[in-house]
Amino acid sequence: MTVVVVVEGVVIALLALLVVGLLRSHAEILRRLHQLGAGLEPDEAPAPPPGGPRPGRDFQVMPQVPSPPDREAFGGVADIAGAGVDDDAVTVRVTGVEHDTIVAFLSAGCLTCQRFWDAFRKPKKLGLPAGVRLVVVTKGRHEESPTAIGRLAPPGIPLVMSSDAWVDYDVPGSPYFVLVHGPSGRVRGEGTGPDWEQVSSLLNQASGDSAADADLAGRRVRKPVSDAEREARVDRELLAAGVRPGDPSLYEATDPADHDEGDHDHDHAAGHDGHDHPEAASS
Amino acid sequence: MKVSSHGIETDLPPGWEGRISLRRAPDGHDRALGSAGEVPNPVVHLANFPLPEQRGDFGSGAVDVMGSGDVLVVLFEYGPESVGQALFDRQGIPTALRPAMFSGSALQRTLPSQAGCQVFFTTAGRAFCCYVVLGRHDEAARLVPKANTTLRATRIGPR
Repeated sequence: MTVVVVVEGVVIALLALLVVGLLRSHAEILRRLHQLGAGLEPDEAPAPPPGGPRPGRDFQVMPQVPSPPDREAFGGVADIAGAGVDDDAVTVRVTGVEHDTIVAFLSAGCLTCQRFWDAFRKPKKLGLPAGVRLVVVTKGRHEESPTAIGRLAPPGIPLVMSSDAWVDYDVPGSPYFVLVHGPSGRVRGEGTGPDWEQVSSLLNQASGDSAADADLAGRRVRKPVSDAEREARVDRELLAAGVRPGDPSLYEATDPADHDEGDHDHDHAAGHDGHDHPEAASS
Repeated sequence: MKVSSHGIETDLPPGWEGRISLRRAPDGHDRALGSAGEVPNPVVHLANFPLPEQRGDFGSGAVDVMGSGDVLVVLFEYGPESVGQALFDRQGIPTALRPAMFSGSALQRTLPSQAGCQVFFTTAGRAFCCYVVLGRHDEAARLVPKANTTLRATRIGPR
């Protein structure tokens, strides 16, 4: 009888340990899902990354794909060279060009990638921002089946098979997208999403933020050179005459004789807090 | 950036991109594309603008999107039977094109303001046509040196 009780106690203890472990694991999973924006509340916004979101640099990341590397200076942007489905040798310029480029890293065997392969078959419906070029990059011919890629290759969109590009861009997995500013070669945004609509909206936002900044800078009216020179000359002459900023002589002089108390909304007897009068001439 | 295939290599200048591919094997229905059984030869497209994916051998499709500052260089290889023919007497890749060599009448398909130039040559026992299209004829003085730079960076060896 005692043995039975002891055995039961041991089993219960082990079960309790198992339950505690499962609960902790479940809590960790929920915490990670919440951070990735897949929490229980559908309207809940995803938690921003540590240090705050970086404008134009943060994408919604799928749970299966690791977050983009946390680095300020992306060291991997490079022009893309490899093989094409039809072409034997292909190079695509991404840096030092007038247009921006969305580099889409896809693979043939990735189930999520299939949504993008399907979307890219209708390039006119992708809603790409003006001046943005889409380029698809898969791994090289020794890692991807050219036949399979050939069946998936969307018409009219450059496709390069290049494992080197995956290394250059430090791609964590597919699907993965990098938006590159053509003239500077800098990364405007990178990451992934469950479908093209989400990735497209985030890329548009990144492009729009940069475009808005550029538009604002372009709208600023620069002071004409002649005005600036005239102001500098006047400043020099005033300083040479001993007139410094705030000097009363710079302000409209008022004749004490014309200085009517009715012009003021306060009582002189109460003092002149708030403004000064030029010294009255002795009569 | 280098693009290399079929014994052809080009070290592209900044802003240029390229394709080297084998022409599709002709089926004989369109004689302009060759006769059935013909072994396809390489064709090279080099451009300082984004190359569209749908292109003809001599750049149709690409010339349609060219702007005033754009240059397209096509190297089209002919079969070994062309080696030794008078048309291909010139030896070596042409690298000293001049604006006077360009005209609208040299275009495969005349497009307003564009100009083209064709030079046939033989190198490494291979016969080629070098076809260069300028996006704007008026800009030839500025654009032709760009084409020459790219051609000078091109090497053709035995296939």
